[in-house]
Parts: sequence; C-alpha cells; structure tokens
Amino acid sequence: MTDNDIVTGLVLEDAALTIDELARACGADPGWVVAHLEAGILTCVVTEAAPRFTSRDLQRARRVRSLERTFEADPELAAMVADLIDEVERLRTRLRRAGLACD
Amino acid sequence: MEFRDYYQVLGVERSASADEIKRAYRKLARKYHPDVSKAPDAEQRMQAVNEAYAALSDPEKRAAYDQVGRGFHAGQEFRPPPDWDAGFEFSFGGGPGGQAGDFSDFFSTLFGGMGGAGGQRGFRTHGEDHHAKIMIDLEDALHGATRAIALRVPTVDPRGHVAVRERTLHVKIPRGVADGQQIRLAGQGSPGLGGGPPGDLYLEVRFHPHPRFRVDGRDILQSVPVAPWELALGGAIEVATPGGTVQVKIPPGSQTGRKLRLKGRGIPGTTPGDLYLELQVVLPPADSDKARELYESMARELAFDPRRAAGGRG
Repeated sequence: MTDNDIVTGLVLEDAALTIDELARACGADPGWVVAHLEAGILTCVVTEAAPRFTSRDLQRARRVRSLERTFEADPELAAMVADLIDEVERLRTRLRRAGLACD
Repeated sequence: MEFRDYYQVLGVERSASADEIKRAYRKLARKYHPDVSKAPDAEQRMQAVNEAYAALSDPEKRAAYDQVGRGFHAGQEFRPPPDWDAGFEFSFGGGPGGQAGDFSDFFSTLFGGMGGAGGQRGFRTHGEDHHAKIMIDLEDALHGATRAIALRVPTVDPRGHVAVRERTLHVKIPRGVADGQQIRLAGQGSPGLGGGPPGDLYLEVRFHPHPRFRVDGRDILQSVPVAPWELALGGAIEVATPGGTVQVKIPPGSQTGRKLRLKGRGIPGTTPGDLYLELQVVLPPADSDKARELYESMARELAFDPRRAAGGRG
C-alpha cells in the first residue's frame, strides 16, 4: 500500500467489536473485559449471539483501562471517575446546545 | 534525534526512588489527563509523561537509559553508540498509561529491540492496535470526505529493532459519521510479530466547532435571525441550512427562542438527526425619523407591557 491509497474504515456502530477485539483495542486480555462486564463497569450492546461494543463502549473501556493502569485504581473507582467524566461531557454538550461557552 | 530527559519530564532528580517516580508520574497524570485538562497540548504532554514513566519505572530500561544518556541534556543531538544495549534485555511494551506505538522515535530507538517475549522464535502475535483523533468539519459528516492524517508507524528491521517512520494515510470519512464515533481501519496498526496479523487503527471522530451550526448527536441546531413582524405575523422565510436553502413557515404569534424542527435534516444515518431552527428576533435600529415614528406609534397604539405579560413589573 502506498501513501496515496485511500483507506476506507468501518464506523463501529455498523460493525461493533467482539470481546476479543475490544480487549485488543484496550491493550487488555479478554478476561479483563469479561470480568468488567460482569461487574457492570463496561457497557455493551446485548445481541442474541454475544456482547458487542460500539464507539461509546470502546471509549469507556479505554478510559477505565487507562485510569486503572495509570493510578493503579480499583475498577469501581475507575468506573466512578469514568461516570463523572461522562456527566461532565453531557453537561458540556447541553451548554454547547444552548450556545454557551463551556471553558 | 533529540535527547529526551525523562527525569526532567517527570520533574524528579536522577537519584529519585521508584516510589518518588511513581508519585511524580501520578501527579502529572492527574494534571495532564486529556479527559480533565483544558491545556491545548494536554494530550502531547500526557504522552511525554507516559513515555518517561515507561522508561523510568522499568528497572532494566532505567539502567540502560542512565548508562547511555550520561552527560546528555534535553534537546541535545543524540545517537546511541552501536550495541550500546548489549547486556540489557527489554521488550517494546508500553508503560501503564500508554501503548508502545504512542511513543517517540527516541524511545523506540532506545528500547525498540524486540528482545524478551516479542523476540522469541516461533512466537506469533497480533500487532498492537493504535488510536488517534481526527478533526473534521460538519460538512464532511453531511456529505462524506477524504482526509489525510500523518501517522508514526513502528517498523521492525532485520535485527529486530523497532524504528518509527512517518506515513500519510488518506482516510475516507463516511457520510453520516457522528461526533465521538470511532472509525476502525483494519490492518493499519502495528505490524504483527512472527507472521501475526497487523493491528487496527481506530480514529475517534471529532467535529471542529462551526461558526453557524451547533451539533448534538445527530441533531443540528441553527440560530435564525428574524424581524419582529415575521414572528408576530408569521409567514414563509428562506433559510440557508447545512443541506441547502429551504423555505420555512413561521407560525403567527411566535416568540423569540422558538425552535422549529425540520425532521430528518440533521446528520444522515439509519435514524437521521433533525435540524432545529431557533428563531432569534433582531430589532430594526431606531436610527431615522421614520423608524422612531414607527416605534412611537407602536408604543402608543399597542399599549404593550412585556413585564406585565411576564407576570412582574421588573
């Protein structure tokens, strides 16, 4: 492949990730994903076959993984921080929607 | 290649203990964490901090770094002597907060030897996935586009050492992509080891702020300036929207701030978003005799008190 080729990707909403793919994208092993799913720390789309992960799920999983590794954080604590970051983002979106600066 | 002073990056002495290094790293990680920091270069700073910690938190890497970097200062031209790493054994693994592909050429040159697990004969593994952010315009999401992004790609030479080279990737942005979504480019991550498949590249899509439109999910919001009589009497007006000019009917008796919803005219998708037009009254200036006369006439004839209508005397 040369630098001039155009590459086409898939939006995760159209081709959601499997457990193995999510684990690799987070630099984790599949056991980490399964344990965090069972603990309700990670989110997923439940299908008949198996859990699938979209953009939002990937972002959350990477955030939790990064918090756990950087601060050696307890998974529940990392999940709470991720929840708070989500909430801040949600409020910022509402401010932007209202045409207000948020910085 | 410029020498990187990892002690300086973490703000610790060369004699710092492992515990002091960890404390300094966590303090900086809190300060520059991209989810928290408002500094425009927070992501780059965080990467530098992760890289410094990856080097100094691993006793083997730290010992090697101390040996080869003796006498060097940050920014100084640097080339490691041949076979400088003889006697050390480390893999290219990233530190706690980062992945190896995120690190600099300096780090790759020093610690890129694929010793350890990565270099074992017969070991076959999937390449590492990479993550990057791509900024696009709202128009790109509405119509689709192709954008060039510069990537730093680790490559393995015949001796098993990792070097980083720059590569430009032209990426097709699919029509209908929304802010925050991830595009997965299969096989565009790190090469696999021992014949393993390459990793993938994930691009997190973010929109540039738009001067006229605001985006919320797949919905688009747009302020539309209107004259007082257009609000009061209603009627059809022409509005330039992201998808082209449309005729919109304003219901009589509308107030400023009223939102008109144009279904399905937001960002396209399986369930397309809507376009919201927020009507904003603009008063004509009373800067001529005629204009003042008209305002005075309204004040006399209408006997309108907005404070009373709002339930107070303000």
